[in-house]
Amino acid sequence: MNENLLRPVAIAGAGLGIASIFLPWAYGPRILDDMTYYFGPSFLQVCYALLAVVALACLVAHFFLDRMSWFARVIAWNDAAKAASLGAVGYAIAVIIAIAVGGGGLINVEPGGWLALGGGALAAVSWFLPASKAPIFERLRCPKWVQILAIAAVMAVLLFAAAFALNQSEADGFLVFAVFLGAAIFTFHATGFFGWLSLAAANNRKVLVISAFTVAFAFPFTQNGSDANMSVAAQVLTFAATAIGLNIVVGLVGLLDLGYIAFLGAGAFTAAVMSKSVFATLSVDLPFPVVALISGTVAALFGLLIGTPTLRVSGDYLAIVTLAFGEIFRITMINLDGTDGPNITHGSNGVPSIPNLDFFGFDFGQSHEIFGIQIGRFSNYYWLLLLVIGLIILVFANLNHSRIGRGWVAIREDEMAAESMGVNTFGLKLLAFAGGAFLAGVAGSVKAYTDTSVSPDQYVFLESAFLLAAVVLGGMGTIMGVLIGATLLKLLPEKLRYFEDYRLLLFGALMVVMMRFRPEGIIADERRQLEFHDTDEELAEEVEEDLTTHHAHLNADKELP
Amino acid sequence: MDPTLFFEQVVNGLSLGSLYALIAVGYTVVYGIIQLINFAHGEIFMMGAFGALTVYLVLGSPTDLSIPMALCVLLPAMILGGMVLAAGTALIMERFAYRPLRGAPRLAPLISAIGVSVFLQEFMRLFYGRIPGFPDSKRGIAFPRIEGITGNNIDIGSVSIKMSSIFTIAALLICTAALWYYINRTKTGRAMVATSQDPDIARLMGIDVDAVIMRAFVVGAALAAIAGVAHGMYIGNIDFKMGFMAGLKAFTAAVLGGIGNINGALVGGLVLGMVEAFAAQLGPTAWKDVWAFVILILVLVFRPQGLVGAKVVNRA
Amino acid sequence: MKRKSLIVGAAALALLATMAGCGTRGEASSAEEKILTIGVIAPLTGDLSPFGKGIQYGAQLAVDQANAAGGIAGYTLQLSPQDDQATPDVGKNAATLLAGDDTVIGVVGTMNSSVAQPVIPVLGAANIPMVSPANTSPALTKGDDLTNPTRPNVNFFRLCASDDKQGPFAAKYLYENLGIKTVATVHDKKVYGQGLVEQFSAAFEALGGTVVAAETINPDDKDYNTVITKLKAANPEAIYYGGEVPQAAPLSSQAKAAGLTVPLMGGDGLYDTNYMELAGAAAEGDLATSVGAPTETLTTAQEFRAAYEAAGFDSGWSAYGAYAYDSANVIIAAAKEALTEGTTPKDARPAIIEAIGKVNFTGATGSVSFDALGDNNYLVLTVYKAEGPAWVAVESGEA
Repeated sequence: MNENLLRPVAIAGAGLGIASIFLPWAYGPRILDDMTYYFGPSFLQVCYALLAVVALACLVAHFFLDRMSWFARVIAWNDAAKAASLGAVGYAIAVIIAIAVGGGGLINVEPGGWLALGGGALAAVSWFLPASKAPIFERLRCPKWVQILAIAAVMAVLLFAAAFALNQSEADGFLVFAVFLGAAIFTFHATGFFGWLSLAAANNRKVLVISAFTVAFAFPFTQNGSDANMSVAAQVLTFAATAIGLNIVVGLVGLLDLGYIAFLGAGAFTAAVMSKSVFATLSVDLPFPVVALISGTVAALFGLLIGTPTLRVSGDYLAIVTLAFGEIFRITMINLDGTDGPNITHGSNGVPSIPNLDFFGFDFGQSHEIFGIQIGRFSNYYWLLLLVIGLIILVFANLNHSRIGRGWVAIREDEMAAESMGVNTFGLKLLAFAGGAFLAGVAGSVKAYTDTSVSPDQYVFLESAFLLAAVVLGGMGTIMGVLIGATLLKLLPEKLRYFEDYRLLLFGALMVVMMRFRPEGIIADERRQLEFHDTDEELAEEVEEDLTTHHAHLNADKELP
Repeated sequence: MDPTLFFEQVVNGLSLGSLYALIAVGYTVVYGIIQLINFAHGEIFMMGAFGALTVYLVLGSPTDLSIPMALCVLLPAMILGGMVLAAGTALIMERFAYRPLRGAPRLAPLISAIGVSVFLQEFMRLFYGRIPGFPDSKRGIAFPRIEGITGNNIDIGSVSIKMSSIFTIAALLICTAALWYYINRTKTGRAMVATSQDPDIARLMGIDVDAVIMRAFVVGAALAAIAGVAHGMYIGNIDFKMGFMAGLKAFTAAVLGGIGNINGALVGGLVLGMVEAFAAQLGPTAWKDVWAFVILILVLVFRPQGLVGAKVVNRA
Repeated sequence: MKRKSLIVGAAALALLATMAGCGTRGEASSAEEKILTIGVIAPLTGDLSPFGKGIQYGAQLAVDQANAAGGIAGYTLQLSPQDDQATPDVGKNAATLLAGDDTVIGVVGTMNSSVAQPVIPVLGAANIPMVSPANTSPALTKGDDLTNPTRPNVNFFRLCASDDKQGPFAAKYLYENLGIKTVATVHDKKVYGQGLVEQFSAAFEALGGTVVAAETINPDDKDYNTVITKLKAANPEAIYYGGEVPQAAPLSSQAKAAGLTVPLMGGDGLYDTNYMELAGAAAEGDLATSVGAPTETLTTAQEFRAAYEAAGFDSGWSAYGAYAYDSANVIIAAAKEALTEGTTPKDARPAIIEAIGKVNFTGATGSVSFDALGDNNYLVLTVYKAEGPAWVAVESGEA
């Protein structure tokens, strides 16, 4: 079709879309975040407008840009316009569905909502515009402070988005916002911004890590004193810490462990029976860091106990042995109740009423006011867990890039070859097994205090399967992937309680689909990705090319003062 | 030990072991051919039991049948129904969850299998009861009475043996014989053996490997369905979760006997059943499952090829 | 480098602070309507969902009736049912969610004692009372030392009888009414089953009876024949089982099929008609204790049943529906006392806890009032016998 006709139509559509937010979208203030005002757009309406504005700007930019100019080539203007307008349509559909479901029928959609959909649809004719040339955005050289500022800004936006999404107590608001985030990411991706960002991130790794932690640290301040999300966040962190431990075993060394939750349980039970709870059987007065170390050590000893005989047998057997070990652990914890064995764990009752931690007068059980914001009990534990997970990530990252880490990867790729090259495969496998168990044990000791009670029925096979799923879903061998996987798996069920009955059904289907279409996970370890697609020559070339250009850029940047 | 008690526990162990053995064959034939731990096989067993129940419900829940009618018409119909549902599920599963992953690193199909397992359990839990006239599957469902088996005992001396035990043990014997005939005396069975020994050469010899793999799934599913029906009669009720523990134990049995080896699955199943029965008899029952798993670990450490298996070449 | 990261952190915080300003529009409109929330924490999904749904709808009925009667002091009541999936972790999240809601005045739940353990302190920190229709673990109201009880949770109340009442009541019935001197006990090694059996055994032996065999089963297993063979050798006159229907029914049917034709008795975990569906003819003559007087004898109970059926919920009241109805009414009654003009629901919570300690009315399960530990004063227990497809009351008495 004629571009001269298409572009004005699309521009008009985007304009209509922007106008629509000044009209009410929904009938009744209880639907989503109250979209009933004239000239008073709600936050979710503003989100729509953002997409529409980006689409409009990218479409209009065409008239002001000399096609050959540098500026015209930086951003893929047409592609960005397409992505933004499609995103707007998708978002409008999501909102309309949410209104219809929440209010009981499409009748609840006011003209503004339809206008948003129509405007978006008109703007989406930009899909027929010619494709942009590959943007040169990612080749932009910027001063370091710009890069750092960009990283900080992205992190802050992430924090805000996470806080907003989490504060949606209803599933509809959460889902609609998730659609917006998806559309926004899609749009940014189309501009070529992410390519630039990932280079900037690679250049400023430390800044990236520190700002990520700053953002995570600041998260409780976004909660206005509410502890509901912090409880979930603390669970996500415990889960993620354990999953990173598992990632060493599965992701780096390639040993499949189906009973990993037992190590978390070993740590939790150790901490619980040593705590000052009246139900504790081995109560001792030790500072928490010592307790955490002991818990980790106990878990590591379990790891050695199970690993020493079984790591000599090959992969598939290990899976079933670890599964059996997980069951043995759970049954043993139930049986150490005084009737079928010595009373250590109080059997299925477990150890309840574990007192809160107290660091130098900082009582973890109390709310504290910091910067005028109430920081509740779970936020305290959240910070403690953040510290623990920071340490775990540090250990993981250092091991991964050390001689030991290379040995592990060698074992994963070809154990026989590794052995014949002089790698001590048994020792390294044992180290991974015990090391992973140690990390899980430490996480378990914090979990015992966060939960205030420890009982055997928290450590069932399904939890091990979830841990494995977190590692696989996020991306084996990567930290970021596992963090994302753990967050998705623990957070979504909490936020989507609406679908709670279908939670496991969807989980099962997701595992199958994921293995079918993206076995390397959301964030793929590049080498790992190749393993899964070893027949895909194109991908191999792409990865290689990426790596070389990437390094070339890094080195070029380093030469700058 | 009191001889009556001893023999009753032997019968208990054999019945339980026969169930494990019937399910374990499914793990072993599939593993023998494509080296896949079909983690969802326990769910195939569950589908078998539900398939049999479905036939019973579709036939209008007949009660008060004469014993010959029940044994010669109803029971075979139910077993057939169970086999159809189990084999159908197994084929769909193979086609969509496993076949696309052939050649992928070994972790991929295993994780896919865990997904299938969870999916099938939840699917049955959520949707079986929604079919009009079918019982709510969120709770246990009573398995239909089969006249002549359910609730009948045979007394041999002071030992009283349930008909359902006899059915289970007899089912294992018949299935073993049939399986032996199929593997050793039919062309398709021999193709299966050939494929498990060397899939590439088998393909060169003109064997349709895909068909062989599908047949392996069907054979495993059929035996699991028989186990499902036997389980229903022996235990008295079925539920959507029944496959998990049974599958786990049966897999243990398969490994115990030597995975990939059909005789091994039979031996492993019976050994595991006996271990459980006597661990419960001689010590606190609470530790029974621990013993089962400890024996598994010991066998793997000292005889990784299993009780019956030949020395395995490291294929990892 | 370090200075730069500080700047980055500061920038992030600044951006955050500016952005936190928007997106708080919903509050103004919702404040116009005065709402009180009663939370429910119960297993609404999973294999215990029939019980959990009964709890939810029982409480829903109480809330609907209170609203129909004009609400409380100008407030409208609403129910906020939260699923705990019978899992402590999930239950704790649900509790934190409710604790963060300023309109919550009380929680009805939980069903499982293991879930109650982490839930109670979370609610307690926010002064929210929890009234349980179903938690039977004695430790929740009496602490770890049952002979010398101290109340561990001031915000926890329960209507049902704890295991230390039900077990001895069953022991007394077997020993005195049926003249049974030897029993075998079996439990599933879960909090409920094990507690029940321990209390039962102690009382039964104190009466002069003998426990000839004490066995356990693994609830994930379904084949109990090895255990039954062991029990048979001990030749008991009855089996006492601590656990729930999914295991008890096959245990009963397998025992009878193996020639161990003695009655099986259990607690309220068996008191559900699903037991007869699963065990079939083998269930005949089995016994279960349950809390409260038989509903036929109470007009309030019949009113509850009629109202529940009229409301057309998609799940029956199950074992705990009537208790949940009463639990919600306890909270409503206390809120009527404690909520005065000018206090917000959040501020009224301590007063509500105090008022719950003083409530006294006749509910669907009998009269309701609490002792100093938070247990129900009026504890009538009833022994039911399986006859055909129904449980028939055979003996009632105060524990």
